[in-house]
Amino acid sequence: MAPIKLAVVGAGPSSFYVASRLLSLLPRSGPHASSLKIHLYDRLWAPYGLVRYGVAPDHPEVKNCTHKFDEAATDPRLRFFGNVNIGTTSPFSYALPLSLEALMPYYTHILYSTGCTVPILHPALPPSRYCIPALSMVHWYTQHPSKPSPPPLDRTSHVTLIGQGNVSLDVARMLLTPPDHLAKYDVPMPVLDILRRSAVQHVSIVGRRGPLQAAFTTKELREMMNLPDSSMVPLDPALLAQVQGASLTRQQSRTLQLLQKGSKNKPGTTAKTWSLDFFRSPTGLTTPVSPSDKARLTLAHTTLDPSSRAVPTGESSTLDTDLVITSLGHRSELSAPWYDPALGHLRTVSGRVVNADGRVVRNVYASGWAAMGARGVLASTMMDAYAVVDTILRDHFPGEDVQTTAASGPESAADKAAEADALEVLPKEVDLDAIPPEVEAGLKEGRVTDFEDWRRVDAEEIRRGEELGKERERMDWEEAHNFLTKTRT
Amino acid sequence: MSARTLVGKFAACPPTRIAFGQRQSLRIHLRRPQRCLSSHAPSQVWLARSAALPVFSRTRDFHSSPASCHGGVTRPKPGEGIKVHFKDSKGNLLKTVEANEGDDILSIAHEYDIDLEGACEGSVACSTCHVILDPESYDKLPEPEDDENDMLDMAFGLTDTSRLGCQVRLTRDLDGMTATLPAATRNMFVDEADTSLARVAGAACWDCQNYSSTSHRFM
Repeated sequence: MAPIKLAVVGAGPSSFYVASRLLSLLPRSGPHASSLKIHLYDRLWAPYGLVRYGVAPDHPEVKNCTHKFDEAATDPRLRFFGNVNIGTTSPFSYALPLSLEALMPYYTHILYSTGCTVPILHPALPPSRYCIPALSMVHWYTQHPSKPSPPPLDRTSHVTLIGQGNVSLDVARMLLTPPDHLAKYDVPMPVLDILRRSAVQHVSIVGRRGPLQAAFTTKELREMMNLPDSSMVPLDPALLAQVQGASLTRQQSRTLQLLQKGSKNKPGTTAKTWSLDFFRSPTGLTTPVSPSDKARLTLAHTTLDPSSRAVPTGESSTLDTDLVITSLGHRSELSAPWYDPALGHLRTVSGRVVNADGRVVRNVYASGWAAMGARGVLASTMMDAYAVVDTILRDHFPGEDVQTTAASGPESAADKAAEADALEVLPKEVDLDAIPPEVEAGLKEGRVTDFEDWRRVDAEEIRRGEELGKERERMDWEEAHNFLTKTRT
Repeated sequence: MSARTLVGKFAACPPTRIAFGQRQSLRIHLRRPQRCLSSHAPSQVWLARSAALPVFSRTRDFHSSPASCHGGVTRPKPGEGIKVHFKDSKGNLLKTVEANEGDDILSIAHEYDIDLEGACEGSVACSTCHVILDPESYDKLPEPEDDENDMLDMAFGLTDTSRLGCQVRLTRDLDGMTATLPAATRNMFVDEADTSLARVAGAACWDCQNYSSTSHRFM
């Protein structure tokens, strides 16, 4: 068979699901096993992307998918190169910069699984000391290499989250869960210290539309309702009454039931509270003159137009708050190749990357959030990854209608037409084992990490965690680098 | 080597099904990940599986590889277990297998190489093991708990008789039940309009600003 030597840019869940699927469809025991090589590149030193640096610490079950990824990594045809930043400007000085052009000659196939790493901001709420994107919070509590400074929780009693998705509820839950409950999870000690000093008493979760449009899922809402020492400020019964009778999806009706029932702790019985503030759209944030005062958030009141868009009613109100956290979704990086600003992610058709003129770029693919935008849970990422693998195999074995997952759908005539007119950017024949010399040198220096490095760090993090009676104690790159240097023989 | 040979190999199609130049749909059955080492000797695995598989099973060739990870369930002696029919999303029978009382559908699927994922490994934190049951069997089961329903909310191709495979434990009266894999399509997770985020009262588009997550610091 013609070789498939695939470079994957990004080593998050989508990337690993693609790799693991390809490896199992072309099993090691098969006669052509050696024609498949998969090299995963990540600009972070550790693999797993959002599974390590996004999943909330109190959702450890979600991280079980890494067992499958670890399994894939035992296949010698898969290699991982951490701390290699392909193409875009690296946010981390220690990551090895490598242009896409320098990578291309070494691979017959390239897959972009770079995710959506840029938070979407609110035009009325520029970042400041009073307003930060939720991603900074997530990066803080997961000890992401971007190292945002910790939030000043000891001086914060009122937090306002803008956006009503699951990221927003994750942040709210982290702020309102007693730190002792979080201590057994993968929450870094410095994060726990700050949470223990937190003065947060109330979290307002603001959305411009109503309960039926909220993006959070029932699991996350239920967790809020069950917080051990917080209660929800009851919703205006009129708000819930007005949506009765509408034709609801299963999820909407279950969400409504939860909202009607309210939190496990009755209102007024707890010091800490939270609220869902529907039909409010921020129009500005006035920062205080004295640092001891609160900032003032102005909210336009909204209603839904016939197409369920939020439109202002003309009324407005203000909310005094210490910290505004915007959680309005994410997009891919502007500088990513084949990025489409109108979409907020790469331009693709069935996983094939398409250039600005609409031409398929042969053997270049995208999967996960880089291809479909920042939405969906791990299950959707997995299904998308499997569908992209079907596309890759269809292209590699023309004439065979490969369909290994219901998600990929039958091959369409349009797929074939697009493929016929494809742009050629990658070589057909390459040295299957070669990697760019910069990466080779980086590995020798210890600047570029491989999967074995990660295994050692992973085991050490778990060992440190055991000593502290918790899931794991994370290392940052400095610690991991020192650890690897010391223990490398 | 031609690509066709390889496709035939990895799909493990019996050669009679692959005619040169003839297009056909290859529905590839996956081998389960080799997460754990099987205690079976390969020959036993081969025999045990052969008995349960149709003559032209496409999974046969997979036995040339090391024994795969099973679902941690023990297979009953043929004829003594509870029968479960697994069907694909189009309703075609994949396999009829036998399992014991108390075994769950996800583990059974793993044991018999049915392509049902369990991303969270049965901890009710994902919906990847979603299956659709025949109505009669569905009604015999206790109602799903809240946590299972919360996950089913997010399952693709949800029906009135959907369950998470990991939460369905076999009882004798479920003998002969059918578990159908859902008909998930790509469209189910890509058609939530890209425009939804850009809509806000009084604002055009939130997407027009560049922002690097690392440029911001608290204080």
